[in-house]
Amino acid sequence: MSKSHKFRFVISGLAAIAVAVVLTTAVNAGTPQPKGNEGKGRYYFKQTCKECHTKGAEGGEVTPLTKTTAQWKAYFLKGKHAGGTEALTKIMPDTQILDVQTFLVNHAADSLQPETCGK
Amino acid sequence: MPVSSLDRRRFIQIAGAGAVAATQIGCGRHQIALGQRREIPTTCELCPNKCSVIAVVEDGLIRKLNPNPENPKSRGMLCARGNAGLLQVYDPNRLKRPLIRAGARGEGKWREVSWDEAFDYTAQRLSAVKEKYGPQGVLWSSTEAFAEVFFKNLGMAFGSPNIVRHPTLCLASVNLAYSMTFGTVPSFDLLNANYVIMAGANRFEALITPDTMDLIESTMNRKTRLVCLDPRFTVTASRADEWYPVKPGTDMAFILAMLHVIISEGRHDKEFVANYCQGFEQLAELVKQYTPEWAEKETEIPAADIVRIAREFSDAAPRAVFYAGRRSSTYQNDFQMRRAQAILNAVVGNWDREGGMVPNAKIALGEYMFLPWDDPQAPRVDEMEKNFPLAAKGDGAYLKLRENVLAGSPYPVKAWMILKQDPLNALPEQAKTMRMIEQMDFIAAIDIQMSDTTWYADVVFPESTYLERLDPIEVLSGIWPVVVLRQPVVKPVYDTKPCLDIVQGLARRLGLQQYFDYTIEQWNDAAVKELPLEMPLEYLKKHGVYTPPGGPKYGATLNPEHRFVTKSGKIELYSERLQEAGHDPLPVYQPPLGPPEGRFRLVLGRKAYYTHANSTSNPWLLDFAPENHLSINPAAAASVGVADGDMVEVSSSVGAVRLRARLTQEIRPDCVYMLHGFGKQSPWLKRAYHRGGSDAAILETAWDKVSGNAAMHETFVKIRKV
Repeated sequence: MSKSHKFRFVISGLAAIAVAVVLTTAVNAGTPQPKGNEGKGRYYFKQTCKECHTKGAEGGEVTPLTKTTAQWKAYFLKGKHAGGTEALTKIMPDTQILDVQTFLVNHAADSLQPETCGK
Repeated sequence: MPVSSLDRRRFIQIAGAGAVAATQIGCGRHQIALGQRREIPTTCELCPNKCSVIAVVEDGLIRKLNPNPENPKSRGMLCARGNAGLLQVYDPNRLKRPLIRAGARGEGKWREVSWDEAFDYTAQRLSAVKEKYGPQGVLWSSTEAFAEVFFKNLGMAFGSPNIVRHPTLCLASVNLAYSMTFGTVPSFDLLNANYVIMAGANRFEALITPDTMDLIESTMNRKTRLVCLDPRFTVTASRADEWYPVKPGTDMAFILAMLHVIISEGRHDKEFVANYCQGFEQLAELVKQYTPEWAEKETEIPAADIVRIAREFSDAAPRAVFYAGRRSSTYQNDFQMRRAQAILNAVVGNWDREGGMVPNAKIALGEYMFLPWDDPQAPRVDEMEKNFPLAAKGDGAYLKLRENVLAGSPYPVKAWMILKQDPLNALPEQAKTMRMIEQMDFIAAIDIQMSDTTWYADVVFPESTYLERLDPIEVLSGIWPVVVLRQPVVKPVYDTKPCLDIVQGLARRLGLQQYFDYTIEQWNDAAVKELPLEMPLEYLKKHGVYTPPGGPKYGATLNPEHRFVTKSGKIELYSERLQEAGHDPLPVYQPPLGPPEGRFRLVLGRKAYYTHANSTSNPWLLDFAPENHLSINPAAAASVGVADGDMVEVSSSVGAVRLRARLTQEIRPDCVYMLHGFGKQSPWLKRAYHRGGSDAAILETAWDKVSGNAAMHETFVKIRKV
């Protein structure tokens, strides 16, 4: 790749990141915290999503820490699964989606998760 | 004949009755007919360290507990508490069968009942409270235990948001401060550190574990330099290279002045700060004002020493740590003081480095997936969202919770379920806790002994001791984490049950059985299924512990792409989250109040013989320190006309206790000290009954503003000879 191509590539990459940051920031600011049941969301996530989304499995590992709060909100706003090819509602019903979203947002990579001792 | 009764009879035949006989067996002085000898690995429960032990069982009796060298955390060591644990099983005064109160609360009249009757009665009383006040009208409080998860789950499945745990009586402020800085609470690699500062932490006396021994050894061999700040000349101070009797409540001034020296002299790890931290410029600006000369006036530690220690500390980095300590329920600014510690550690770049602070490695356990319940409808009674929005909500804030329960605000709480906790001695201001007890319609306690609080319960569920029960398999996280199994080494001697059985007995009668439809074996099967072992459960039964190969690992997070679990993804020297919550985003110093004329600051501490307030009735341990005293400086004693050995009344605005005075130069004249865990009021704790005084009776209610952690060094007391 030539220097100018590299430069354009970097610039376009930065532009894409900037758009993503603006988008996710907007989502973060404009979208309230989901009000599903976090405990149930954890259960559905482990029962359903973890079928494929573990290390070495077809979907690759996904944990709440995979995305930030804004990124999870944006993901659920879009409501698409499998690289945007499939509606989330094909995987689980709306009520369960809200619970899973609540679990993932509450434990996102930038969420407040003070540690404690014991469980 | 059930084996449990055979065991009991055989025990009585062999040992005679009571504690004397049990002591003889444990000491090996008593000759017994040797039957089958077995060595069964399990896990200690006498303190939070959870060492691995091997029980030597002969003829159905536990003859001795030995250390299990397979656990790198506990290695070939078992402390005094760990050795004395077997007396829990053979304590003639332990809880032996379910009880229902037959007289007035505290009168000590009990009726022995069947488990069915205890379950039925408790479920009926809890349902009555639920009917009248809603599920939020029942409080569920517990202290740390492997099986605590079952008890908490019962409270949540019942529909109560009011689960309150022990951290806000212990280390909530240190947990929150490190979480808000690094996104996690690290371990301190004392074994490999070359320079350690301990402020208020008394590891050589309060918690004797192998890593304590490592530090003692490396200090004595002059490998590690130890600097100790403490108003008392503790055992740790006596082993340190330097001891400073710091003015109480001013540790933060010392830390900020160290930061001032390190940053102004450019001694911080610039590359690490640039790559991993955010907010350094704001920090540098803040600490300009905190000069060593200023800190000398606050702390009474000479400025020249502060400068020298700061230089030595940064020179020794990354093998240098300012140790966080364990119990951090001290002052109302404890969170900010711990934040200052965390920041000091961060700027010298000791993060994830050998001899520094290391994020805990984890071992993923599987989970038994039980059906989840609906969220509680009511908010928490301690109003965590409003009062402590950054703190761990699942733990609650004990003292604020008590205030609100007593006020009936925002709603009434009228029943109290308690697991393995003695709030009358664990919380400051015992009289207030007693008022909370008095205003409850119903109280039930699960415990192994009749604690002071259990004495006031309406129903008592006797739990099997840790040597008689199978508990959930646990990971002990750390620099080198392990998986441990606690399995029964003998059958229950009395009519007792493990926590899960008690929870399930209640759940069935409360219509919640669908959430507890599993056995402890199923739970443990699920937990170990992903361990890289052929037959993991069999392995753990045989070894008691699984240690992943490879030893400690360092540096996994030392990659500029690594995202810390913080708002910015960086180590947050400056915290926007704190600012948004109305707190100082950087640690800003607030001087403590000094004692008024004629009063002394009460400071507390621990000895490694006793855990919280619950092991002073163990005869082997009680021999080490049969009662607590009031330590007072001779000059201070003279000012109030007290001589060594005098009985004195120690009083605060909330109560008074009587103790014998111990005059010693090992404490500052403006402080007095007493050991926690004495002054028991329950007659069933026969050995500890009415020995010494309870600090809970005189401690005033105060808490840290950010974490809600109790502030137990904020009480000023009067001393009077009686």
